Formats: sequence, structure tokens, C-alpha cells
Amino acid sequence: MKLTIRTTAAAVIVLFAGGILLASALGFWVTESTKEPAKIKTGEFAGMPNPSDIRGSYTWNDISKSFGIDVGLLMQAFGVKDASTKVNTLEEAVKSLSLPPGVEIGTDAVRLFVALYTGLPHTPEESTVLPYTAAEILLREGKADKALIEAAAARAVKPAGTTPAAEPAASAVPAATGTANTAPAPAPAPAASTTKTKTETVTAPAAAAPAATTPQTATATQPAATTTTETHVEKPTGTVVGKTTFGELKQWGVSVEDIKAVLGGKIGPDPMAIKDFATQNELSFSEIKTKLQELVDKAKK
Amino acid sequence: MKKSGNALQRKPVRIRYIVQAAFFVLVAVTATVSALNEKGIIIPFFKGVSLHGICPFGGVVSFYQLFTIGTLTKKVHESSVVLAVIGLLSALLMGPVICGWICPFGTFQQWLSGIGKRLFGRKYNTFVPRKLDRVLRFLRYGVLAWVLYMTAITGKLIFQDYDPYYALFNFWTGDVAVTGYIALALVILLSLFVERPFCKYACPFGALLGIFNLFRIFGIRRNAPTCISCKACNRACPMNIDVMAGKAVKDHQCITCFECTSEAACPVPATVEMTALPAITKDHEREGGAK
Ligand code: SF4
Repeated sequence: MKLTIRTTAAAVIVLFAGGILLASALGFWVTESTKEPAKIKTGEFAGMPNPSDIRGSYTWNDISKSFGIDVGLLMQAFGVKDASTKVNTLEEAVKSLSLPPGVEIGTDAVRLFVALYTGLPHTPEESTVLPYTAAEILLREGKADKALIEAAAARAVKPAGTTPAAEPAASAVPAATGTANTAPAPAPAPAASTTKTKTETVTAPAAAAPAATTPQTATATQPAATTTTETHVEKPTGTVVGKTTFGELKQWGVSVEDIKAVLGGKIGPDPMAIKDFATQNELSFSEIKTKLQELVDKAKK
Repeated sequence: MKKSGNALQRKPVRIRYIVQAAFFVLVAVTATVSALNEKGIIIPFFKGVSLHGICPFGGVVSFYQLFTIGTLTKKVHESSVVLAVIGLLSALLMGPVICGWICPFGTFQQWLSGIGKRLFGRKYNTFVPRKLDRVLRFLRYGVLAWVLYMTAITGKLIFQDYDPYYALFNFWTGDVAVTGYIALALVILLSLFVERPFCKYACPFGALLGIFNLFRIFGIRRNAPTCISCKACNRACPMNIDVMAGKAVKDHQCITCFECTSEAACPVPATVEMTALPAITKDHEREGGAK
């Protein structure tokens, strides 16, 4: 049997067009992420949408629908004017402003806001801060632990009232510097006195503003008292953060046995983020993180 | 007589150029519309799909994560997996047709080769010393292994920052890493001397598809009794394969471009053709290899 150029051209087109049509018919032809976050699999919140799964490609409408938060409220929190824009445009809008080094208002800020508003669990990145407007709403209506909300509010930055959507004021500085741009969180988080704080930069001096520490786990079920607060401005190789995968840990020289010892005898597959593993197995990421970081530091030596 | 017959025979190969151009435009438009959508600019009547959504290699690098934890690598969508499966099936059937017929980056390099041919004439695509060339051709398997491993352990599209293909279609978006621009510039420069340098030496997907040349169902076969040993097939092959060396091309670099066949370069009818290969025809004769 012979294939000529003509028959090969036909075969190529039929194979690809036919394959795509068949995949579409079977529902496999999906060219963008589904706009529904994954459900939390275990624990008290099993079956609820997971704020940690909010992606930059979600629109404000998508988030409103998934978490049952009024879209107007979301827009007000982040100073957004069009509910059909994607969340990742937030980072773009903020880029042009002189946010202090090491702080970010991006998709993770939206995750944090949703978590604190609904009381669902989420572990924010160290650099994540909320805009002042979002903090105000949370202080008023947030369903998460009050101490966590106050801690997040203390780090909030002030958006310019008249500047475009979600843009913090050019003068915005982190709460840590002690300027008037921080959210009014008068009460320091009760966590502060019992929290292991390893503050490297942007956080406030503990004595002056103890609430200015970053909650590593914003969850309604996890009291702030057990929260480890660590603020890293830089994330050099070898720093365990929310997105760190098991593969990366191994690459940094931590043995499988050591990882298992920390995680109670279990370990996730290489591409899995440790934070996701912790969520799935109802482990406190903050605690795991500290222990794993110690192992990484030891391996580095 | 022979000349006019040959001229006629050359026509069908243009069909491939048309198919290539069509896929190039399709991908360029789709990726551009998607990038514009990302920036909040909506183009009426066009639905943008990100380059990751239509890249079969994204599906390939996701296989490990898909089988181990049931999710896809970040930025990859189900459509990439569908295309990966179709791509692998097509390779099993006809070899790397994706490289020779569909891949817009292969097409881009092919277009650049036109400039190289004008500059250097017959010397074009013969600059790399044979021994070095032979070794370099295996480099892409190193790239493939590295990309698969790194993607598996990080769960991220690790190759994007080095991918000249991504850089070509996204150079204006601000989403391309410096390394991506450097890779693109290097490929453009090298394409003036060597045909398809990225395909030959660095493409991880081409490396994977190339393996199928060893057992593809339909392959390029040379009918020795009618061959006049004019070497037209060798000269025409963009991948420098020694078609004349055997009775079937099983070189891992063949891209099923048909340039060597009797429908294009070969002046003798029915001498170089794509037919069902030895495994099916029970022909165990010597196979063609790189020059
Ligand atoms: S052997 Fe023939 S089909 Fe294969 S790449 Fe060379 S010219 Fe194209």
C-alpha cells in the first residue's frame, strides 16, 4: 500500500481534524482551564471550593459564582471596574506602582481574601498583601478567625482612591514600616505572643506592631496561636514555600526517608506541591514547612 | 521528456507547503488572539487559544503528572493531551508528519532556509562537519530527557523559558524569558547555514517523534532496481539523510517531508515512495541512514 503526498495531506488533515472533532464530542477538547476551583477533598471543609485553586485566568464573575461572594464586593475589595476581567490583570495593574520590594498584590491576594471572607483554608505566599479596601471588608464581614483577619489587615496597603482598578497608592508601603498606610488593625493578633517569628525584612518590629506578622495559614479552623510566621522577601533556591514540590525538595538534597518522617510516613508524587499534600492530608503546612526547611538547610551544609 | 515529467511530478510537493502555511497562520492567529485576550483586548469572531492549549508537547510533558496524580502540568490543558495522542498515533502511522507538515516552527525554519539557499547555493546545509553533526543529532534526546525530568519534578512547564517556538509567537507579549529570545535569535542565525537546526539538534518533541521512524507503519522506501544512483534524493533531504544508502529510510531524523520521493526530487517514477514498511512487507534489506 502506497501513500502519496496527496493522500498523506488528506490523512494528516483527517487525523487531526477528526481527532479534535471526536475529542470535542467526547468532551475532552478543553483549551482553557475550567473556571471552577477544585473541591477540598478531606476534613471539615470537604466538598467546598478550594480558595488555593483560584487561578489567574479566573474572572471576578467566576470567583463570585464559585464562592458565593457578591461580585460587587469583590470589585470593591480590589478596586476593579469590570467583573469580566481576569484576576491576573491585577498583577499587571500593580506592576507600574512602586510597591515596596517583596510585597505583591496578585492572584494570591485574591485567594487570601476569599479564604478570610469565607472562612475556608488557604496558605498565602509570604509576599502576599491585601489592599486596604479588601481588609476593611474583611474586618467588617470576614468569616475567618478574627485574629487572622486582623493580622492580614495589619499588612494591607492603601490603594489610591482615584487611581485605576486595584492599584495601591504609589506611596504604598508595607505595614511593617509603620506608616499610616496600614489597615486599621488596632488589636494585635493574639498569635503574636505565642508565635514563632522568623522575620527577615518587611514585617514590623514585634514590639511596635506585633500584628504585622504574616499568617501562614488563613483558615477558620486553625487558630492563629499555632501559626508560624515567617516572612521571606526573596525566595532563593532551597526555601520551602507553598508552591514547593516534593521533586524540588529531593533535588535540594532532602532524602525520601527524612521527608516521610516529617509527614508521618507518607510522601506525595514529585510534581505535587507540599502545601496541596498538607491540605489533602489535614496536616498543618506551617509546621511541616518549618521542619522541612530545617532539613533543606541541613542538606545545604 | 524526462524533464517535463519531472516538472509535473514536482507539483504535489507544493501541497505540503500549503498545508504548512495554513497551520502556521492558524497557530499564529490563535496565539495572537489569545495573547490579546489576556491583555483584555477582545477580537470579534475569533476565539483565542493559548499556545499551550494547542501544543502537543505540553500534553507529552504532562503524561507523568496525569498518570501519577491525575492533574495536568500548570498552563497545559486537556486539548494538549488530545493533540499529543493524535501526534503519537500519526507518528506510528506515518512518522513525524507533525514536524514536516504541521509544526509552525519547522515551517518557519524552512522559510529561512530559502534565504540560506540563496546565499550559499549548493553549499547550504553542508557546513557542519559530518562527525560532529552525527553526535549533535543526539543532543535533542538529552533535551527531551531533561525537559521530561524537570517538568515531572516541578510540575511546571520548564521548557517555556528556552523555547524558541514560544518566543516566536509571543515575542511581543512581554511573556518571553531572555533565554527564549536568545534561543530564537540563535535558531534564526543558524537557519541561514543549516536547514532546520532546531529540529535537528534541540527539539525535544522531534526527538520523541523521531523514535517512531524505527517502527512506523508507512515509511520511505527506495526501489533499488530502478534507482539510477543520481543522489537527487540525498541532495533534496533537508535532514541530510542518506536515502540512497538503503532500501528504507529508518533514520530517526526523517520528517516525512516527501522531498526525496519520486513525487519531488527523484527523477525516476515509483523509485522513492512512501509505502508500508518491512515489518509488513517482510523485507529485511539494509536501511538508509544519515550521511
Ligand atoms: S528521507 Fe525523505 S522524507 Fe525523510 S526527511 Fe529526508 S527527504 Fe524528507
